[in-house]
Amino acid sequence: MSTLRGKTALVIGAGALGGPAALALASAGGVRIVLVDGGIVETADLAGQPIFVEADLGKPRGSAAARRLTRLFPELEVEVSARGFDEGSAGELVHSADVVVDASSHFPTMFLANDAAVAAGKALAHGGLLNFTAQLLTVVPGVTGCLRCLFEGPPPPGPEAGALGPLAGFAGSFLGAEAVRLLEGRPGAYAGRLLVHEARSGRSRSVPVMHRPGCSTCGAISEGGARAPGRSS
Amino acid sequence: MSLIDAGEARFARQRLLPGLGPEGQELIRDARVHVVGAGATAGPALLFLAQAGIGTIYVDDGADVDGASDGDAGSWTYSSGQLGQPRVFAAVEALRAASSFVHVRAIATDAEPTATLVCAQREPVARIAADRARRAGLPHVVALGNGDGGTVVTIPSGAPCLRCAFQPGARLPPRPGAAAALGSLAAVELLLLVARLFPGDGTGGGTGRRIDLADGWPSVRPTARTPGCDCQNVY
Repeated sequence: MSTLRGKTALVIGAGALGGPAALALASAGGVRIVLVDGGIVETADLAGQPIFVEADLGKPRGSAAARRLTRLFPELEVEVSARGFDEGSAGELVHSADVVVDASSHFPTMFLANDAAVAAGKALAHGGLLNFTAQLLTVVPGVTGCLRCLFEGPPPPGPEAGALGPLAGFAGSFLGAEAVRLLEGRPGAYAGRLLVHEARSGRSRSVPVMHRPGCSTCGAISEGGARAPGRSS
Repeated sequence: MSLIDAGEARFARQRLLPGLGPEGQELIRDARVHVVGAGATAGPALLFLAQAGIGTIYVDDGADVDGASDGDAGSWTYSSGQLGQPRVFAAVEALRAASSFVHVRAIATDAEPTATLVCAQREPVARIAADRARRAGLPHVVALGNGDGGTVVTIPSGAPCLRCAFQPGARLPPRPGAAAALGSLAAVELLLLVARLFPGDGTGGGTGRRIDLADGWPSVRPTARTPGCDCQNVY
């Protein structure tokens, strides 16, 4: 716990991924959490986001999540950012944190978080969900490739995807555990390796995320960046 | 808004999952799940099952809330004001606050579960609970934590038993973050079983699997019956 005292985790998104991530961070003890979520708790959120209860319906998600966190962990220091995570606030929010947890499940925000974290030299733990698939990646600026090395940019808008709450809980808990590892100065389990887990088959695979020459985000700092080993299961 | 409309709105994203749809949601609603344990691994699983729309949950745990025990830190279901309360009642209260669509109560002799989720902290308890579920012919999922990782074994009716899939051994108490991941994964597996989305014959029968979590990475393998194990004679 002592290694985490005084460290700050910026958690972007307080819902399906961010709620479990914040709970995992809180349970580690000592971490200060800054939550950013500009939404309100909607009916559909109550089908798979256990950081919220029915009494939270219609309330701001960030403050509802913070209330639950402090109820479960009374000594936790948690702050809800009044500003959303946008181009105007991203730089300042990221600079004030020791690690960035992208649990936004929103493509433009994912890439904004990636760009801001790389620019600030802060490690980024990223999580994503699509139907029965969860993915986790840690970006260490100057060492690993980044989200834009892998995907270049957000995909075009598509139909709404399904969501399975406990799969998000699985990924979100690991996302929080990864942030704890990074704050403790340990190597990230997903540093430079995208974990893709498909729930129906139960299979996971590892996609190496190497610096992509010409990447618009990390190209300037990752010349000669480390090549990450692959792994499969 | 009627109860039917409220359910439609609440489970709309879940019903969008490929293969689930309204039929899968009805299977989830009709399920009655016996959950063994209410600690750090079971707490997240209980909440996810309740919020996913499981119709009835029977909570089965004999311990009191104890902030010093390895099972209560990070269980997601208890607050410091509940120290000393029976965990089963604290869990029931948390589940009812999470969803009014679930019928939740402590396990009783008249319970008629259709599936079992075993998240007991102690391995001998987990093995006894798994054996009872097997003898009752119930599909079951067992989560066994071990430090930063653990194992989830999924046993549809007729699949190799827990003893075939996982040998007893020394294990560390699960750390809170890992316990939550393990409990969440166990809830995923159980929902796949009850919604008939588990790979196999369409009814969730016959083929089991084991997912090991180590250093944040899952790896899956099918389970195989140990030669001579009596589980082949029970189903």
